Amino acid sequence: MRSVLRRLETDGFKPIVVTPEGPHITGDDYEAQTLFAMETERPAAILLDVRFGEYDLDRFKGLSILKKIIDKDGSMPVLMFTQYSQGPYRDTAVNASLSVSGSVDFIDKLASPEEVVLRLRRLIGNAPETIKIGSLFELDADNAAVYVIENGRRELIREIQGMKLEILNELASAMYRSEGELVPFSRLERFSDGEDSRASLRVRIRELKVSLGRAVARDFGPNELIINVRNRGYRLVSPPDQQ
Amino acid sequence: MCGIAGIDWLALQISSKWECVCEIQDLGYLNDQSLKILKFAGLTVTVVGLLLFLLSPLIGEPISGNLAWFIEPIAYIGAVVFMLGSLVVIVSFQVIERRTKVVSGGRTWSQVTQDYFDTFAHDMGRPLRRILGKQREARAVLNETGEVSQHMVTELLDEIENQAPNFRLMIENVRVLVDLEDINAAPAVEPVDPAALVRNVSDRYTPIARERGLELVWWCEPSEFGLIYGDGSALDHMITNLVDNAAKFASGHVEIRLTKTASTFIVTVWDDGAGLVESHVPHIFDRGWTPELSARAEKQSSGLGLFIASSLAERCGGQLLVESQLSNDSSSGEHFTTFTLSLPLDNRTVAK
Repeated sequence: MRSVLRRLETDGFKPIVVTPEGPHITGDDYEAQTLFAMETERPAAILLDVRFGEYDLDRFKGLSILKKIIDKDGSMPVLMFTQYSQGPYRDTAVNASLSVSGSVDFIDKLASPEEVVLRLRRLIGNAPETIKIGSLFELDADNAAVYVIENGRRELIREIQGMKLEILNELASAMYRSEGELVPFSRLERFSDGEDSRASLRVRIRELKVSLGRAVARDFGPNELIINVRNRGYRLVSPPDQQ
Repeated sequence: MCGIAGIDWLALQISSKWECVCEIQDLGYLNDQSLKILKFAGLTVTVVGLLLFLLSPLIGEPISGNLAWFIEPIAYIGAVVFMLGSLVVIVSFQVIERRTKVVSGGRTWSQVTQDYFDTFAHDMGRPLRRILGKQREARAVLNETGEVSQHMVTELLDEIENQAPNFRLMIENVRVLVDLEDINAAPAVEPVDPAALVRNVSDRYTPIARERGLELVWWCEPSEFGLIYGDGSALDHMITNLVDNAAKFASGHVEIRLTKTASTFIVTVWDDGAGLVESHVPHIFDRGWTPELSARAEKQSSGLGLFIASSLAERCGGQLLVESQLSNDSSSGEHFTTFTLSLPLDNRTVAK
């Protein structure tokens, strides 16, 4: 759990851990403190275990806490940790979560911290206002702008506008949702024009890479930043800090 | 289903056709010897009941001389005793049959249990040996020199992290195998977002692929794929096994694609591994088969993943196909293996 906390912090989250104190802690103590923390801390999402404590009665205590959370705030995204990500216990958990109308997902306890953060991001919502592309660039979709980050300062890349920006936004959103997600040509070709839309898209992508490369005085190769995956589509990958 | 008060181990299932089916719920507290005694006691009571019924005109006190023999009180008592005895015999026979029941593939439960232990021992042994090997090496260096290099610690930590998905998949595989033994079980039907499932599997395997120097990508067409009605847990498991297999054999790339037709959705898992020898293709979905078996070499995996994926696909009303090309069979030198999983978009009718 500590590794998940560390990873959340690295990704810019500010995790708050609810830990009741005292002897003989039961699921009810966790429930009370969770609901109290919801009031006082106003979190963007909640990570919750299905099982609390060693008492058998508390095996599914997390599900009753989930119901209370959703009763309190129906829009609260909740990611539930469970050792029962599959199987009959998972079905019990899922059936219970279906009875609430909130945004609930399950992840098993063996999941890597990376996986937890990706799931949490998706639960919280679609792409945020700004998406970081490695440590070099930042895309501000709301203000239709791409920035280069140098020594902590943001500088606007003026060349990236219109269709190039739309393409970058599409690629960055896919990368944010899931690192391995490829954007197929069919989805990107709507941002290109001319009779040969595939060729037009290729040109736009090349221009985009050149513009981004120029901003950081680099020449991004075919296997860097925006990659054509076996003529299926394109994928954005975070560029390394150093050349 | 209606239960009978006081008989907690017996439940009567009444189907829509008003058929009563006796189903044994739980007699786990009785050992085999007790069951045999119960069976013979039941037989004895049945015979006594039958004798009472048949001999009632001779041994009973007639209520009226004009009445027929079959309404003698002792005939009723005989009939009740006979029915009770028969019930005990049926129940004990069913329990004995269930305990020694031959399950799918002509194996008994004890053989099935043995199979699971073998699977556990094999699948758990390999990753455990790898972790222990690194750990012992580090400990030996620590004992000898008093310190361990950062490289060694990183190697050990990476090994633990890399083996975690194997443990994860193994636990799930054994659970699904147990489920698959029940040939009457029907797949669950719930609204499922297959794109979300593929994304989750991709998230799980992206760090592993990166560690192995592979590029793992996925996409779906249309991009807004929508929901299907099917068994989400089974679908997750099928895709996981296919991706796990591809990540084992790929040379550099693994692709997962999700598409659909009017009535089915298709998950395609492609890898650029060396490809399958033609003679291996018919066995690829056999339980426990691995390519090493044909070479009499030590198995590198349990050979259960593809068997499970294929069995689950069939259970869910779909199919799993494989297509492969060896590099020396192709003029272009291209080599690949593609698994194509097709499942109904709406499994509600199949499940019924």
